[in-house]
Amino acid sequence: MPRRTRRDEAHHQRRKEVLHAAGGHRANDFRCVGCRLTVSVRAPGTAHRNHCPNCLASLHVDRRIPGDRDSACRGRMEAVAIFARQDGEWMIVHQCLSCDELSTNRIAGDDNVLALMQLALKPLQDTERASRTLLAL
Amino acid sequence: MSNTSNTLKIHTFTCAWCGLTVTRNAADDSVRNHCPSCLHSRHVTDHVEGGPSDCEGRMTPIAIAVLRTGDWMLVHRCVRCDELTSNPVCADDNQLMLMRMAVRPLAQPPFPLEALGSL
Ligand SMILES: [Zn+2]
Ligand SMILES: [Zn+2]
Ligand SMILES: [Zn+2]
Ligand SMILES: [Zn+2]
Repeated sequence: MPRRTRRDEAHHQRRKEVLHAAGGHRANDFRCVGCRLTVSVRAPGTAHRNHCPNCLASLHVDRRIPGDRDSACRGRMEAVAIFARQDGEWMIVHQCLSCDELSTNRIAGDDNVLALMQLALKPLQDTERASRTLLAL
Repeated sequence: MSNTSNTLKIHTFTCAWCGLTVTRNAADDSVRNHCPSCLHSRHVTDHVEGGPSDCEGRMTPIAIAVLRTGDWMLVHRCVRCDELTSNPVCADDNQLMLMRMAVRPLAQPPFPLEALGSL
């Protein structure tokens, strides 16, 4: 999928310090709790992949800081919303199905474009609400 | 006199962003936690520990999450401590503001939308 250059530049701008150790090349793979895909933690655009690039699901492992792996919950986190930061970058809001905890995460360069778009369009599927808003204009 | 102001404090709050005096009880009998006009909120409950939080930071609305029931939830982030919360929208919340939040990501998609043209 072609990406805009501006986005590519943004993705290369900084490498965050990551808390997971750099183990063997297989050590950092994980199996997605949502779609069972085997996912490598190495992702274009982020130093630390925290969600599945295919279905966007995640696992509740972090407590306060992304990558701290400090949570004992291990519940499945579902992507529930997209929002745009001040600089325009898309972020995913994840919510844990076990404990309701919320987190926000940057999208990765190889995230499923369709899944992202479906998530972003979710609020607009309520055509009745959209119609009411138009009437209020 | 002081009785009146105390009663006012219990039943209303002042919006941390636009200054509007907001009644805590919404028309549909639910308890309001955000301003119906600008949708901002204040960090007063600690969701991890439960009970009150002493942060009191302003909470900015960042996203609309849709429940399986189709109901909209408003996701807030505290500008002071980054805490995230999610609360149901109220029937009399500013619909234009809500819709503005819903369409905002679509104004700046991270990929060219033409990429979806072949669906
Ligand atoms: Zn998956
Ligand atoms: Zn959890
Ligand atoms: Zn307000
Ligand atoms: Zn706070």
